[in-house]
Amino acid sequence: MLLIFGLGLIAWMAGRGRARTLALAASVRPHSLPTQHGWYVALWTIAPALLFLAVWSQVSNGLIDASVMADPAAQSLSTDLMNRDSILGEARSLADGSLEAAFNPAAEALVKPYATAIRFYGSIGAVAAMLLAFAGAAYSWTRIRPKFRARTRVERVVMGALLGASMIAILTTFGIVASLLYESGRFFSMISPGEFLFGLKWSPQAELVAGQENGFGAIPLFWGTIFIGAIIAMIVAIPLGLMSAIYLTQYAAATTRKWMKPTLEMLAGVPTVVYGYFAALTVAPMVRDFAVILGMENPSSESALAAGLVMGIMIIPFVSSMADDSIAAVPQAMRDGSLAMGATKSETIRRVLIPAALPGIVGGVLLAVSRAIGETMIVVMAAGLAANMTANPFASVTTVTTQIVQLLTGDQEFDSAKTLAAFALGLVLFIVTLLLNIVALRVVKKYREAYE
Amino acid sequence: MNSELAARAPTNWVSTEMTSRIAKRYAAERRFRLIGLFAVSLSAAFLAFLLYSMLAKGFAGLSLSFLTNSDATEASEVGIWGAFKGSLLTMIVTLGLAFPIGVLSAVYLEEYAPRNRWTDMIEVSINNLAAVPSIIFGLLGLAVFLNFMNLPRSAPLVGGMTLALMTMPVIVISGRNAIKSVPPSIRDAALGVGASRVQVVFHHVLPLALPGILTGTIIGMARALGETAPLLMIGMRAFIATPPTGITAPSSVLPVQIFLWSDEVDRAFIEKTSAAIIVLLVFLLAMNGLAIYLRNRFEQHW
Amino acid sequence: MALPSISAIALNNIGKIMTDNSLKMTARDVSVWYGDKQAINNVSIDIATEHVTAFIGPSGCGKSTFLRTLNRMNDTIASCKVGGKIELDGSDIYDPKMDVVQLRARVGMVFQKPNPFPKSIYENVAYGPRIHGLTKTKAELDALVEKYLTRAGLWNEVKDRLHESGTALSGGQQQRLCIARAIAVSPEVILMDEPCSALDPIATAKIEELIDELRGRYAIVMVTHNMQQAARVSQRTAFFHLGTMVEYGATSEIFQNPRETQTKDYITGRYG
Repeated sequence: MLLIFGLGLIAWMAGRGRARTLALAASVRPHSLPTQHGWYVALWTIAPALLFLAVWSQVSNGLIDASVMADPAAQSLSTDLMNRDSILGEARSLADGSLEAAFNPAAEALVKPYATAIRFYGSIGAVAAMLLAFAGAAYSWTRIRPKFRARTRVERVVMGALLGASMIAILTTFGIVASLLYESGRFFSMISPGEFLFGLKWSPQAELVAGQENGFGAIPLFWGTIFIGAIIAMIVAIPLGLMSAIYLTQYAAATTRKWMKPTLEMLAGVPTVVYGYFAALTVAPMVRDFAVILGMENPSSESALAAGLVMGIMIIPFVSSMADDSIAAVPQAMRDGSLAMGATKSETIRRVLIPAALPGIVGGVLLAVSRAIGETMIVVMAAGLAANMTANPFASVTTVTTQIVQLLTGDQEFDSAKTLAAFALGLVLFIVTLLLNIVALRVVKKYREAYE
Repeated sequence: MNSELAARAPTNWVSTEMTSRIAKRYAAERRFRLIGLFAVSLSAAFLAFLLYSMLAKGFAGLSLSFLTNSDATEASEVGIWGAFKGSLLTMIVTLGLAFPIGVLSAVYLEEYAPRNRWTDMIEVSINNLAAVPSIIFGLLGLAVFLNFMNLPRSAPLVGGMTLALMTMPVIVISGRNAIKSVPPSIRDAALGVGASRVQVVFHHVLPLALPGILTGTIIGMARALGETAPLLMIGMRAFIATPPTGITAPSSVLPVQIFLWSDEVDRAFIEKTSAAIIVLLVFLLAMNGLAIYLRNRFEQHW
Repeated sequence: MALPSISAIALNNIGKIMTDNSLKMTARDVSVWYGDKQAINNVSIDIATEHVTAFIGPSGCGKSTFLRTLNRMNDTIASCKVGGKIELDGSDIYDPKMDVVQLRARVGMVFQKPNPFPKSIYENVAYGPRIHGLTKTKAELDALVEKYLTRAGLWNEVKDRLHESGTALSGGQQQRLCIARAIAVSPEVILMDEPCSALDPIATAKIEELIDELRGRYAIVMVTHNMQQAARVSQRTAFFHLGTMVEYGATSEIFQNPRETQTKDYITGRYG
């Protein structure tokens, strides 16, 4: 690989050099700069060779395996597929040096054929790549001429790279949707969507019994997510966020606002794992003590209230920042009109500014809810694993995100219903947050247009 | 003068009813203002309380051995170096992937993209990706990078790729804003001397937009540094006792290490966990501070 | 004939002694600073009921700033300082004991660009009476809304769509709505800051007609860019220039027989 890049560098300099000499000799002004000619040659050298190597590495694996299987030492291998694959894998690792000692004696016998095959096919690939690199260099070098439009061609490649980079975004979205759908599809072939979406019992088992409810009813999870994220967290975040925004835009002195606004933004910058630890270590015991004072017996140390409170604190800047922008966007003339009639500042805010800014504020709240229900670490560390359908904030409930983590950690086979259930949960989460975001952005956009 | 619109009795501003009503309104005004002040103070107090409790619990745990050791079974022997190196390697991969892709996408969308359906789709994709919960990216990494492409579990390479997908939209959005803020007169001047479109962007616009792009990148990287959930999904949940040797070796990252220690029953771990949190917060503060410094120093108002 | 009061003699540049009209608001030696910059320099003026007083002068000379001192709207600007004495019915409006809320209900304001609230037409007019608690029943409020919309000349055009948004009206209708909103709290003085400058000639004519009708009940102070409008509509005129009031007197005198050369130059269009 390094050789190819080295060749590319030489090609670049050679191409540039030739372009320079040609330009001096010719009477017509060259179209492109010597450097650009250099790039042209370099691209022709590197790109075909790299492409070839990429393809070859896939193809050669197959060729190597085939040649090893043809070797007499491999005839004695068992026909059991899994056993054979693991022995082959071990032999391969021994051959290319990543493994030091063998577990299986049968593997040792296969090392030599593997090593030979790897060397053989490896050298074929290297030589072919070099040939391609030289060919590309020669071809492009001979094309250099003053009139040659090297710059345009190079720039076309650059544009291609730009377009490619942008397509990655679409590719990622597509990848997310595709992988979620695919794995969820496999899940739903094992568990019916009806049971998943409407079932009330969540106790996922590795062993599936056909025909009866298998404990994959996700309603308790949906409830837990909404209870913590959309209800408790919002009860904390909306009043604090909205009133903070009102105070900072309408009442605070300029210096106060200058310092307080970034301070509030800092709340959003604290990593969620820190919030989770804080919730579990400090807030949860406080909540439990409070529950004892209220007379509850044996309250859980993991509670919806602890997680919800801390999540609410984290969400405050999301609400306050959107509210701030929306209130500031209301034209000053509205405020003046109300004040000139003898309204107090609070009356003006309550009766004129907030109703005028309401769409923006609502959009901000929706975005905050979307963030809250997608949050993982706070609930994993503070809310617990019990799939409870309770409205008691002091009880332990679990959420969609907690269960995704729970189902996928630990040594599970990837194909079991448990692990696939995580993908189904992920799909639901993705769809819901996507919908919330779309609605929120549409609301805010319509509101902005009204004031343009 | 229409006298049939018979005059109502003029408002009596000094009647007891009116004065008491006005007094009530002023009282409501004062209350409202106090509630606002209370809200701001309470929010700031939460932040202060959180920082203080972490500092109080963890300050004693900071020591040279803590900073240079790796994970261990005994609370007295643990250190964060292993996780920190893992974070470093992961961040390098993330930056190396997200920055070029993000900047190039931003350049394309702002400078060259025609207004057609493809471009709209790209824009919508990016805006949606920026708001997708981070755990979904973890699921994507698990399904595609680990299972489909068979990359090594728990490696900074995979973690970096996953986080890069998550950070890229942030860089694109802030990059677009930075490029948008460069005035058209600069571009016109460059075109006027005969620069090609590519040259206009790479020689003139990008250098001017660079501070804004860097600020956005640093903020995006700070967010990625603190992420835990996606990395848990790709397997960074194991006990790693030695620092990783390269980007394909199994490793942990600082937030995941904090998470794992928080589960430990031994109370001595509380101090260590809090100390690790302090280290993490210090780094985030430094990164955000750098971003703010960059913005203030290099921001130009056209 | 009443003897001229001492305050009348103390006024600068007054053309005619005011006799049979009651003084609603008086301003003496008023100066306004924005930070260190002085915007208004020792202005003294009388505002009388049942009169329209016009403020004219080139742009940027402080007419709007002075207008806003009359209802303490300058309080909303942090760097603004006001010196001198302004009285409404004999009470100093800058006295800390003066209730700003009450003051602004008694001295209403109509702005240059119509600014109806993003509420229904009904709610726009009902806003003032609601917050000041001027009516007790819904029927009273309905009657009040109808009355002031009629007085503003808008009732017939909107009576079937009271619950539509106020911002959906045309420019001239919006301004009449703002006037209706302002008079719905029964002010004693109405301040108008270039009320017609954002409107077309037909709407302007309608508003000028309205002002003439309203003059019978309220003291109106109007800032205007348009000299002809001042001549049409007002009975007294004050000419402002660079923060000072150059001349003040009966409209006919100012326009036909000005005493100061500056005034004459402005009137005859030698500068704008």
